[in-house]
Formats: sequence, C-alpha cells, structure tokens
Amino acid sequence: MAIDVKHIAKLSKLDIKDSELEKFEKEFSAIIKMVEKLPEMDCKVSLLDTENVMELREDVIIPSLPRDEITKNAPKAMAGCFVVPKTVE
Amino acid sequence: MNEIHKLSATQLSNMLKSKEISATEIAEGTIRRINSVESKIDSFLTITPEIALAAAKVTDGKIASGATLGAIEGIPFALKDNICTKDVKTTCASKMLGDFIPPYSATVADHLTSAGGVLCGKLNMDEFAMGSSCETSYFKTTKNPWDLSCVPGGSSGGSAAAVAACEVPFSLGSDTGGSVRCPAGFCGVVGLKPTYGTVSRYGVVAFASSLDQIGPMARTVDDVELLFSVISGKDIKDATSKNYKYKSENTTLKGLKIGIPAEYFGEGISPEVKTAVLAGVKTLEDMGAVAIPLSLPSTDFALSAYYIISSAEASSNLARYDGVKYGYSGTRDEGLEKLYLTSRSEGFGEEVKRRIMLGTYVLSSGYFDAYYKKAKLFKNIIAKEFNDAFTKCDVIISPVTPTTAFKFGERTTDPLQMYASDICTVPVNIAELPALSVPCGFDKNNLPIGMQIIGAKFSENKLLSVAKSYETAVGGFAVKEM
Repeated sequence: MAIDVKHIAKLSKLDIKDSELEKFEKEFSAIIKMVEKLPEMDCKVSLLDTENVMELREDVIIPSLPRDEITKNAPKAMAGCFVVPKTVE
Repeated sequence: MNEIHKLSATQLSNMLKSKEISATEIAEGTIRRINSVESKIDSFLTITPEIALAAAKVTDGKIASGATLGAIEGIPFALKDNICTKDVKTTCASKMLGDFIPPYSATVADHLTSAGGVLCGKLNMDEFAMGSSCETSYFKTTKNPWDLSCVPGGSSGGSAAAVAACEVPFSLGSDTGGSVRCPAGFCGVVGLKPTYGTVSRYGVVAFASSLDQIGPMARTVDDVELLFSVISGKDIKDATSKNYKYKSENTTLKGLKIGIPAEYFGEGISPEVKTAVLAGVKTLEDMGAVAIPLSLPSTDFALSAYYIISSAEASSNLARYDGVKYGYSGTRDEGLEKLYLTSRSEGFGEEVKRRIMLGTYVLSSGYFDAYYKKAKLFKNIIAKEFNDAFTKCDVIISPVTPTTAFKFGERTTDPLQMYASDICTVPVNIAELPALSVPCGFDKNNLPIGMQIIGAKFSENKLLSVAKSYETAVGGFAVKEM
C-alpha cells in the first residue's frame, strides 16, 4: 500500500527532508504491514468501559502554580503571556 | 565503609536506625561511587550531590533528635528523567526538553522525598521512553554493566544500569510496553511493572497514557517491595489512579499453580533464554509449585495492537511540544506555522518522529476504526484471555525478552527488529496487569537472563512473595563487580 508520508508529516507538524523521504516511506510501509495484523472484530460496538469509570475528585478550588512559574520555561514570555509570531496581519 | 554501595536499601536502613552509619556517610559514599563508575556506565543525565547531601543532613538531624523516620529515610535513589523534579532539569533524554526545569514535582518524587529518600540524580532513557535499548537518547549511550559493549535495554536503561552498577540501591523507571522489565532483565536486576492505576502518573511526561506506569527497580525483591509500598496509592491529581495501598503477603509455594504459556516459548525465543526461564520454574516446582501448560493465542497480535495504541496516544500527547510554552523553540521570524514545524522537526529525534507519524496515520480520517478502535477492542480480548488463564493458575511465568542484551547498533537500522524485543512484555501493559522481571541466570556470554512473573490485577503482593521465595532458593542475585 502506498502511504503519503509527506501528508502524514504535514498533519504531524513535522518536516521530513526529501533526502529522508525514501527511508521513512520504506520503514513506514513495513510498520503499517506489521500493525495491520489484527483479527477481524466488530467495530460497531462502543469503546466505553462502564466497569472502570474514572474516579473524579471533588470540584474544589485549590492553589495552582504562580503565573511566573508557568512561563519560566517559555522560550519567549511577556507580561505573563506566551509570545508567538504575529498571526494576524 | 568502602563497600556501602553494595548494600541494599533495607540493609542501609537498618544500619542507619542502629546508628552504625550516618545518612551523610551514605550520601557521600553514593556520590563517590557514582563519580568512580559513571565514566564507564553513563547512566546519569543529571547528578544532584548538593540535594543529596542536604537531604542526608536533614535525616541525620532527625536521627539525632529522635524524630520519627520515613520508610526510606536516608536512602539514596535516582529517577528516570521523564519523572518531573521541581527545580531539577527533566529532559526525557530529548533535545526538545534539554533545558526544561519543572516548576513542580511528580507525585512519586514527592512521595519518595516525604518518606526521607535522598535524590541523587536523573537517569538516561530512550527519548520520550520510545525504544528498547536506550540508544535513542539525544544525550548519551548508557552501557550494560555486565558487558560495556552491550545495550542496557530500554527505555529505562539508565535506571537499570545505575542499580546494576551499584550507583544507587534503587531507582524508578516507567513501563509502557516493557520499559522497566526489559532493562531489568538485560542488567540482571529486579523490576516491577505495577497494575495500571496503582501508582500516580502525575508529573511523569506522558507517552501513552492508557499504558504508562511507573515502576521500581532494585537488586533485591525486598527493596522493590519497599519502594513500591512508598509510591503506590490514590492521587487526586491522576484520575486513573485507584484506591489501592500495598500490603505485604506471604504466598505459600505449596500447590501454587504456575501457568506456562506456549506462545511465550515459541519461535524467536533464544534457546538459552528458554532453558534458563524453565529452570527457574523448576526451582519453584521443587518448593511445591505446580507448572501447568497454558495457551494465550492472542499474543501474536499484541505487538500490532501495542504499536497502534501507544503511537496514537503518543501523537496526541506530544502535540503539546510547539516551541511556545516550553521546550526547544525553532525559527520565530517566518510565522507561527514555521515555528511549529521547525521546533518539532529540530527538537524530536528520528524514532519519536516515526511514532508520532504512525500515531497520526492510524488516527487520521478513514483509518480510525481500522486501526485504533480495532486495537482498543482487541485490548478486551487479550484482557479476557489473561482473566481466564488466572482462573486456572495463580501466576504466569515467561521470558522477559526473546534474547539477552544485544550489541550497540545491532538493531538500530531496522525499527521492526527493535520493536520485536517487546513481544513478551507488551501484552501485560495492554491487559493492565502487574509483572515482575527477576534474574534467572546467564547466557554463554555471561549476560543476565530475566524471568517474567505475571499476575492478575492488584496481585503485586503475590508476585513479590513468589519472587522472594525464588531469590532465597537461588541464594540471592549476582551483583557485577566493577
């Protein structure tokens, strides 16, 4: 099966160099061939696991991290906000 | 006290309580040991001597004043570098998080320090825990203490190698598809992958959230048990954690039924591994256990299901790395899209990209039902097979990996060959079960062989009890002289 690696890379927000494309395509096809090996199953059934529901905590307000701690690792932060390149002209 | 590095956590704890040694002496001895063997092993990404000495001083103060001591008071430990530690770099062995200093600690790290544990550093791993050899780390290659030309296993390779080389008595790793058990097996130490939900995942950098579980590693079963008792329990910060608290139990081997699944001893398993594991079973039989043949026919499909589920969840979890909030940041002067693309393409290594792309593919329009949904439904089948098996037996024993540790570079060219190393361990994660890796001998090259003991959900006490009986019967596990 032909797999459009360029398209998958685009969806993944990854840039695959043309020189690497062939290698990725080859490996990818082999991996897909491997993972396709699953028995036939009725896929119409629901995936909800009703026996193992998550136990949610009480919805109470507790202290969180201070804002400057959160932005401490940001490549670029200003006035308590993350800075991104201009998106609207 | 030249040999304190060889002592177990339990032994060190007893010596501390009887005042034969101080916590500062233990911490200094540990740092000395790390400094003397680290150039050969390369298991640490960050060493924290200042933190260790400060924590040891607190313990010594507590002992002097007669204060109540924690369960691992004064005992050195180290953490896999995907477990967040406040103010201590946590890199996931990735260029992406190369400078990341968490503003908070993982719940397990908090548990260990509250129990008096002494943090000595952060351990190498496969990048974002994706790998079975520790070779995908961006920073360094950790060596197997038993043969420096061989891999330590992965992804928690640093955690296993540091314990095997007596740099620390115990460590934590994480196990998504075998990442605690494989390196424990390759390095000849004991490793536990606990039941999903018994240990909080809050603060462990997410790989595949429905499979990830933090697990302890040590040179003795007692130490693994001690560490597990400290880290397990409900945490309101992890909605998937369960109301569970470990209680030790003595399981008698008399009449204990050990299931031997044919599918785990078939093609692809090295004859030496098979022989050693079956000899381990024989040792347990000599003490009264009964081995019964078993079939788990879905095993053949487990690897496919594992790589679909884990990659799908990874592609979603790793979408957060965008070069904006934290982590590696690429080109900023060509717009937001370019920032995303360059940050991710330059920050992630090849294996991580491969898994993100595989995950994106199986979740993409038109493929969701055929791959991800099918794999998740398959999870029920494999879980049922194990449940049925546990109506006939108490534990299941199998190899941990098909072979012993391999040479560097031997499997890096073919991803599928590397993925095949996980065949005996992934079904356990899919079924959310607990499993222990216990050393059971050596191959002709003197490389350790691991035996996997699998139990029903929440049967950690049974697994640890069986492993303790085995450990006593074989006179303890060998420690590599270095």
